[in-house]
Amino acid sequence: MHIESITLADSLMLTLLTIVLYQSMAWVQQKWQLIWLNPLLLSIVMLIPFLLLSHIPYESYRQSTQTLNALLEPATVALGYPLYLQLRNIKRNWQQLIAILALGVIIVITLSFSLTILLIHQKEIAIALSLKSVTTPVGIILTEQLQGDSSITPFAIMIAGFSGALLGPSWLRFINVRSNIAIGLSVGAASHVIGSIILSKNNVHQGAYSSVALIISAVLTAFIIPILIPLLSMIFI
Amino acid sequence: MMKNIIYTILAISICLGLGKLINYAIGGLPASLYGMIIYCILLQLNLVTPNRVNQANQWAIKHMGVCFIPAALGVINHFELIKSHGIALVAIILVTTFLLLTFVGLLAEKYLTTKTKPSSPVGSC
Repeated sequence: MHIESITLADSLMLTLLTIVLYQSMAWVQQKWQLIWLNPLLLSIVMLIPFLLLSHIPYESYRQSTQTLNALLEPATVALGYPLYLQLRNIKRNWQQLIAILALGVIIVITLSFSLTILLIHQKEIAIALSLKSVTTPVGIILTEQLQGDSSITPFAIMIAGFSGALLGPSWLRFINVRSNIAIGLSVGAASHVIGSIILSKNNVHQGAYSSVALIISAVLTAFIIPILIPLLSMIFI
Repeated sequence: MMKNIIYTILAISICLGLGKLINYAIGGLPASLYGMIIYCILLQLNLVTPNRVNQANQWAIKHMGVCFIPAALGVINHFELIKSHGIALVAIILVTTFLLLTFVGLLAEKYLTTKTKPSSPVGSC
């Protein structure tokens, strides 16, 4: 199949294929109840050989499925609803909570960006990695806004998500962090939705705090990163 | 049911539209993040009825993963990068993730669990 100019039929077909594939993978995960059978990861693993074998260049695939990419915007807006639901949970200590999460955001962006620049020397990748602790739609949108490489972001986000969600609770117990609020907030800040899902299965309070942390961190990141990245670039590049 | 779905779509579209206006006027955050904040405020003020958006909104969040595929698949152009820098990439992600966990965990444990030990003398510095 050669796509010189993308027709509406190709576009429809690839978009439909993507949706059906993702939906079946989501169904597989639900059936087996295994968190690491991540539907996004499985879909990518199957789509890569498909595109290579049928000689569809990535750029054509991307253009054909731009409807899906465009839906990232309303999906991000929809996150305002869980944010609204969680507001009552943070009324008590909101200043401290926001200060801690903001410091966390600044530290993680600074470290990820500078380490990547020092080790890999590519600014687009460094931007993608510095957005690895935010929830995926926001991560992709912010990476594109800063002209980073948004194809790296979702993978970085998944690795941060699974490592922190699966090993984070034991690590936190080891360093003597035991309260529901501290476990929930830290796993939510570091491992976003994946952390939140795993915590919620064992402890509803930890789950609720983690979703507070992931949404507030995403908003804080959006405010902080457009200022911080140019500053860091001046130092390192 | 159908009415609530349309209501949710309308509410989200209006918030996104307003977000685009703000982004166009003053820049700063991406339009969708302005939209998210506006949506949250409208829900808080009850200008958008929370009960009416609940179902469709949760459905959208549950299924939004499919929208990440086109961006994520761009990794197809990065086999070289992964071959030469894969280990460094993963190491950076793991190290910074656990530093963040430790930092937020310790600070939250120290400053946000005050209800069990009221007004300790060094508590608020």
